[in-house]
Amino acid sequence: MDVTTSFATQDLWTWWLAIYLYFGGLGAATLTTTFLTDMYMKPHKELVLWGAWSGILMLSIGSSMLFIHLLDHMAVIHVLNPLVLIKQPNAWIAWGTQFIVWMMVWGFLYSLPYMLESPFFNRIPFLKNILSWSLVRSIGATCGRHCRLCGWLATINGIGTVVYTGLLLQSFPAVALWHNPGVPLLFTVSAFSTAMAFLLLILNLAIKKREEDRPLRVFYERTDLMLIAAELVILFSFFFYLQRGNQSAAISAQLLWNDWGWLIGFIGFGLVVPFLLELKGVIKGWHTPVPIMLASVLVLVGGYLLRHYFMYAGVYAHPW
Amino acid sequence: MTRYAMVIDLNTCVGCNACMAACAMENQTPVWKNKWRTYVHDKEIGSGEDIHRRFFPRLCNHCSNPPCMSVCPTGATYQMENGIVRVDEATCMGCGACAMACPYDARFEVTYADVRQGREFFGAETYLRTRPSMDKCNFCAERVLQGKKPACVETCVGSARQFGDLDDPMDPVTRMVTSGTARPLMAHLGTKPNVYYIDDLKRRG
Amino acid sequence: MAWSFPRLTRRSFLKSTGVAGAALAPPLLLNGCATRQSPESTEEVSYSICNFCSSLCNVRVTSKTRNGAKRIVKLDGNPNSTLNRGKMCARGQAGMRQTYDSDRIKTPLIRVEGSKRGEYAFRAASWGEAWEYIARKTQQAAIQPWEWTMVGGWTSCVFYMNWAVPFALANQIPNIVASPMQHCVTTGHLGTDVVTGNFNIHDEILPDYDNAKYILLIGNNASIGAVSTCRMVRFAQGKKNGAKVVAVDPRLSETAAKADEWISIRPGTDLDLCLAMLHVMLEEGHYDANFLRRHTNMPFLVYRDQADAWQLAKDAQGRPLVKDDGGKQRLKEALAAGEHQLPQVLDITDAPIRVLPAYSNDNRFDIDGYAFCPALEVPPGTRSEHTGEHELMTVFQAQREEIKASTPEWAEKSTGIPADTIRRIAREFGTTRPAIVDPGWHGARYGSMMMLRRVQAMMQALNGGIDREGGWIMSGEFHHKAAKQWQAKQAGTPMQSQLSNLAGLDFANLVIGAVSRGENFSHGRPGFSWAYAQQQKKAGKPWVALPVMADEGLKESVEGKLEWNGEPYRTRALFVNAANPVRHYYPDTYWKEMLQHKDMELVVLLDVLPSDTTPYADVILPNSTYLERDEPTLYGNGVNQDLAITTRYAAIEPLYDSWESPDVLLRLTEILSGNVEGLLQNMEALTGLPAEPVKAALARNRAADIKSPFSAACREVAFATKAEQLGVTPEHIDKTLREKGVYHEENWQDLLKHSAIPEQMPAVTPSGRIEFFSSLFDSLRAMGVEGAAFNVLAGAVPVSCRKTQGMDEPLEPDEFYFTYGKTPTVSYGSTNSNNPVLYAINSFKSDVYRGVWIHPERAAALGIGNGDWINLTNTLSGQQQRGVAHVTRKVHRDAIFLHSSFGIENPQLTRSYAYGGVATNKLIPHNVEPVVAGFRSQEFTIKVSKVNNIKGGVV
Ligand SMILES: Nc1nc2c(c(=O)[nH]1)N[C@H]1C(S)=C(S)[C@@H](COP(=O)(O)OP(=O)(O)OC[C@H]3O[C@@H](n4cnc5c(=O)[nH]c(N)nc54)[C@H](O)[C@@H]3O)O[C@H]1N2
Ligand SMILES: Nc1nc2c(c(=O)[nH]1)N[C@H]1C(S)=C(S)[C@@H](COP(=O)(O)OP(=O)(O)OC[C@H]3O[C@@H](n4cnc5c(=O)[nH]c(N)nc54)[C@H](O)[C@@H]3O)O[C@H]1N2
Ligand code: SF4
Ligand code: SF4
Ligand code: SF4
Ligand code: SF4
Ligand code: SF4
Ligand SMILES: [Mo]
Repeated sequence: MDVTTSFATQDLWTWWLAIYLYFGGLGAATLTTTFLTDMYMKPHKELVLWGAWSGILMLSIGSSMLFIHLLDHMAVIHVLNPLVLIKQPNAWIAWGTQFIVWMMVWGFLYSLPYMLESPFFNRIPFLKNILSWSLVRSIGATCGRHCRLCGWLATINGIGTVVYTGLLLQSFPAVALWHNPGVPLLFTVSAFSTAMAFLLLILNLAIKKREEDRPLRVFYERTDLMLIAAELVILFSFFFYLQRGNQSAAISAQLLWNDWGWLIGFIGFGLVVPFLLELKGVIKGWHTPVPIMLASVLVLVGGYLLRHYFMYAGVYAHPW
Repeated sequence: MTRYAMVIDLNTCVGCNACMAACAMENQTPVWKNKWRTYVHDKEIGSGEDIHRRFFPRLCNHCSNPPCMSVCPTGATYQMENGIVRVDEATCMGCGACAMACPYDARFEVTYADVRQGREFFGAETYLRTRPSMDKCNFCAERVLQGKKPACVETCVGSARQFGDLDDPMDPVTRMVTSGTARPLMAHLGTKPNVYYIDDLKRRG
Repeated sequence: MAWSFPRLTRRSFLKSTGVAGAALAPPLLLNGCATRQSPESTEEVSYSICNFCSSLCNVRVTSKTRNGAKRIVKLDGNPNSTLNRGKMCARGQAGMRQTYDSDRIKTPLIRVEGSKRGEYAFRAASWGEAWEYIARKTQQAAIQPWEWTMVGGWTSCVFYMNWAVPFALANQIPNIVASPMQHCVTTGHLGTDVVTGNFNIHDEILPDYDNAKYILLIGNNASIGAVSTCRMVRFAQGKKNGAKVVAVDPRLSETAAKADEWISIRPGTDLDLCLAMLHVMLEEGHYDANFLRRHTNMPFLVYRDQADAWQLAKDAQGRPLVKDDGGKQRLKEALAAGEHQLPQVLDITDAPIRVLPAYSNDNRFDIDGYAFCPALEVPPGTRSEHTGEHELMTVFQAQREEIKASTPEWAEKSTGIPADTIRRIAREFGTTRPAIVDPGWHGARYGSMMMLRRVQAMMQALNGGIDREGGWIMSGEFHHKAAKQWQAKQAGTPMQSQLSNLAGLDFANLVIGAVSRGENFSHGRPGFSWAYAQQQKKAGKPWVALPVMADEGLKESVEGKLEWNGEPYRTRALFVNAANPVRHYYPDTYWKEMLQHKDMELVVLLDVLPSDTTPYADVILPNSTYLERDEPTLYGNGVNQDLAITTRYAAIEPLYDSWESPDVLLRLTEILSGNVEGLLQNMEALTGLPAEPVKAALARNRAADIKSPFSAACREVAFATKAEQLGVTPEHIDKTLREKGVYHEENWQDLLKHSAIPEQMPAVTPSGRIEFFSSLFDSLRAMGVEGAAFNVLAGAVPVSCRKTQGMDEPLEPDEFYFTYGKTPTVSYGSTNSNNPVLYAINSFKSDVYRGVWIHPERAAALGIGNGDWINLTNTLSGQQQRGVAHVTRKVHRDAIFLHSSFGIENPQLTRSYAYGGVATNKLIPHNVEPVVAGFRSQEFTIKVSKVNNIKGGVV
């Protein structure tokens, strides 16, 4: 019956879902990175506040992408209820939703003590009133006491979210491009790499404690370099994995490796160029932060392109 | 126990599309946007002077190991004891993961706009759907529970579609399946589909 | 913003989802249960008959009532029906969408003062206004009875003939044009019928595919797989039972796709193929000799007269002569039967010539009752005292001689089918029993069509496969009528209520007689087509012998070019009921010109939806759809082999202010002639529906203000009359029909035991035999007809698609034969292409359904790619149409093919109009064959060229 195979790409989960996966991974990885930095490398109030709030914002944007595109918005209640995990333990969206929600909660709580002290937050109308409530203050104090716990809970959920973005795609068995263990890995690496890039931008543009934060920046640069290298290796193996075997995979390979957007846009400007820029930064250093900032921007754009192309190049082989 | 399955004999499907029409009327599907629970494709096979025209009906396979169900975050996609894989319209939030997971392109969206249009098209007094959701073939579960055959099977002018119970060894459908006369689609995916096809390409050479 | 920066997009994404809608939904719903049910609704089942094609499937209608509103929710094939076995095609399944079609005609419409026909400027009116308008116009223009023409479609023919014909007679209207006639019934069926005697529209051949071993399909598709449910269900069963199927078609149709062997024939050459097969079967002895001897006129003696024409040898009383084969066959039979008195055996030369009864189904008994065996072949020099010097031979021998030249090698040239293949299938068909040759339903296409059907019927008879298991079975209804008729004939009593009781060719003769003879009308005029035939003949121009219900001469009579007895014979008014001649006749302009002619005074039209003809009406009357009406009588079970009766029960009240046909005809009678009494009397005389009870019921219904009082009255009386015939109560019939939808009387197997034709009863041919030598064509000769199409035996009839070249000569590089066929999801070119469900399916399959099929090799040579726009030009008439190429190997290299369902031009039919497609009625010229004015709707070629200034293929 299989003489009439036809190939189709889907048009159900498109750019909006690519954004969801992108911001989900980026947001969660950012949050996690800043908390881990704060806990184990160097306490850094600004970084935490920036990381937590941009992370939460990104996660919100990402989640709202999914939410807007739901067919029945009321029924989202079913996944917000944590008991869903008992009912649907195999469903990654259920896990993902819980991860995202709890990461936002713990992320918020982790940053709450810093917020209470931050002049910036205490200047914002309404918010400053809320922050002055005694309940909020005592929660903040408790969190401050158990900050490691909050941090780890946020981190666990964060890593969960990051991995989830890959596992979600991996759970669709008909599409060889998605249905393989490389995807969660690739998405995780990419998420952390984009998070590094994002934090480098924050450190360069927003926090601007240049000297003080140098070791941090160097650390992020090096990590990012390794992550990009890892990503290139994973992609390299994807390239060979897709060439032979499953028909669906071969068509995906054709779609991706014949597309300038993927080749030049993502691999070229999203990975190779920033890799070289950062490599030089690590080996010789730059005189100005501009190349690193450029590399970061490229990595961030590349991170989106990766997901966009991944969504688009998933091929179904239909026997009709 | 009951395990419902369908056998489609490609040798007698004439591509009349009666199944599509019957299903749409029975299940009130959104014909206005040309989405169906079952399709009949019209394919040209062979090379040179050797031409074969195949009509290929397809629908949800009611997989025994349905990926659409395992990915469903709300639990809206579920499997009945008799094997029918269904979507609970009220629970489904319409994320689309099931459609992405389904290797057989069996699922489509019913949106708020479709529900409004459906009310107009099928008549407010008889339109059954109240919420948007993902939709797909449900083996006409209500009819089957009443002892009837699915609408598409009932009307199949070529008797190409046959419905039966794989747990009944005497059922002709079971015999066609167990003898290997009827085979499922893309069995290698491990979905364990329960719609089986009888091939129409005879050995000629 | 779309999903496009890496290509790929089938739709755009940012559609506004109704967030507001969600907010309003009660949270309760979220915990809803899986099943959708509406507990407050009640479900009802009623039964009806599908109205989308002449398969007449039995339908089960499910409707639901909720909060006082009733709505049809589902149609199914009636599971109690042996006709369609509980199944229905897509058109039947989607049928309820006709009732709920938003484009329906909802009120009477009157053309706006000052507008022209064709502009579709109408105002809604009441029925009262509409009748008043018709009455005023009729009076003002002093329209005479014969100046009216009724135009009907198959719906009005099948369901309302019993009103339409009495209406015509009561109002002295000799003119009926019926759209199934020139396309299928007369052209095609009559050909079969002259051989078998059956003339029961569409049910003269009910192939018993279930039991056949070999099925040879020639030019059929919609009559089986695409789809006539009643036949398809049997065909599928036959296939499952292992029958070998061979399909001859220039394209790989739905039906051909199911064959074991597809034989792609050059269009228009099927007669050559069949003659060659007949040739092989006769020469090589592949026939059932016993059947031919006993039940056909093959053993009848014939001779060539001075004019070299074949004549039947007859005795002084006109009885046929046959030669005793010398008793050899009789001897074998007698020995087998253990008879004591064995027949004397002679050499055939010395055996006597015997006289047979003029009407009989068994040639083994001569007029004295002497049993003998008729010879299929007689020695040279056979003569008889009845025919003097003429040398005699049998019809069998004459037929062989007639087609001596039609060898497979000869046929190979025109058909393009290798001679070996022709020989092989002739042998396969001739030696496999039971075998079926099936000619399809749609008849027109070529001047050779009627002969083709005759030859196919002969092939079937050679196999003895008539009214036998696994062969052609005649319908239950036909058996029933023929048996009654045979009884009456034997008793010497005339048939009562002939319109509803006469069977077969006798029925055809009745219809022909009624309208072709001026004596039947007080004004002395026959139907215009008969008058026109005479006028043409007198002028030495081409004329049509039997223009039964044809549009032949209509245009001339509209334009004032027709005379009768020196007086003008005009047509100035039309009543169009369930017909769409602008769309279904050829070409569209022919009818548009008539409808728009300055002397056309009044056009009244009854329909359910706006067709391409409605814009040309003055008054449009809304009919109820089939699901909204109780029919005015009981019907036979259509194309069923079993004997059963059925009717329609309204599933819902009419949605709009619509009327039923009988009531419309009654009201028109009141307006035109006031001769209501005549209408009722004619109904009684012709259909057996007694006038007095109808009158009483009508009065009662009117007093009770019942909707459609006349229909209801007729129905009531029809039930009572039928009950009396069956010896049951009307309530019993009603109850059975309400519960089952069909009232089953007898199985076909049982019917065959006593009424098999010709084994148990004579055929309804003039001789009672299956006729190889055609009595009908024999009698036509007296009218002075000429040409190959009128051959009394099977013979070649040339097809001229081009002015000079024959079918075996090559085409120009851009030239193609033209073929068309029906779409599985549309009826004819009918308004149900507007059905939203069917429209959606047609859109899903638009490449195949809407496209013009063209072979890739030919397309490539013309630079045409799949989806390109192409120009089609008729080489004979110059007509042009534009279409989109569907490049496919499924079509013969010499042919283009298109589905004849599309190209609707009335924007009021919104979906059909939006669909586009090529209109056959804009490519086919007016060109008819000489026997019954059948359309030569493919007898031309088409030049194809690419349209260069349009990009893309989407219509
Ligand atoms: N283009 C084209 N022309 C054809 C054919 C084709 O395939 N294509 N086929 C030919 C053949 S084989 C045949 S038999 C004829 C059939 O020709 P018709 O019998 O004339 O065919 P229909 O289109 O079904 O019916 C004509 C009209 O009847 C209307 N109608 C439907 N239901 C009802 C009803 O309940 N009441 C009333 N009053 N009207 C109703 C439809 O809206 C339509 O306008 O057509 C022939 N002409
Ligand atoms: N879907 C659908 N089904 C119907 C109807 C309908 O309107 N729609 N109407 C019913 C009625 S009234 C009728 S008359 C029947 C018609 O039933 P059919 O006569 O069986 O069907 P058609 O579609 O007219 O044509 C049959 C086939 O003839 C082929 N053909 C064309 N030219 C030639 C030729 O020269 N030689 C040969 N061998 N084949 C040729 C066409 O390719 C087509 O596949 O269908 C009935 N069933
Ligand atoms: S109804 Fe049956 S024969 Fe017709 S298309 Fe569907 S499966 Fe095929
Ligand atoms: S065919 Fe698709 S939708 Fe149906 S059960 Fe299988 S995976 Fe699920
Ligand atoms: S769309 Fe509905 S059924 Fe499908 S996975 Fe999402 S919640 Fe489940
Ligand atoms: S089983 Fe029912 S729901 Fe499924 S395709 Fe057939 S008719 Fe539609
Ligand atoms: S074959 Fe289809 S359209 Fe024709 S009567 Fe039957 S169900 Fe109706
Ligand atoms: Mo027809």
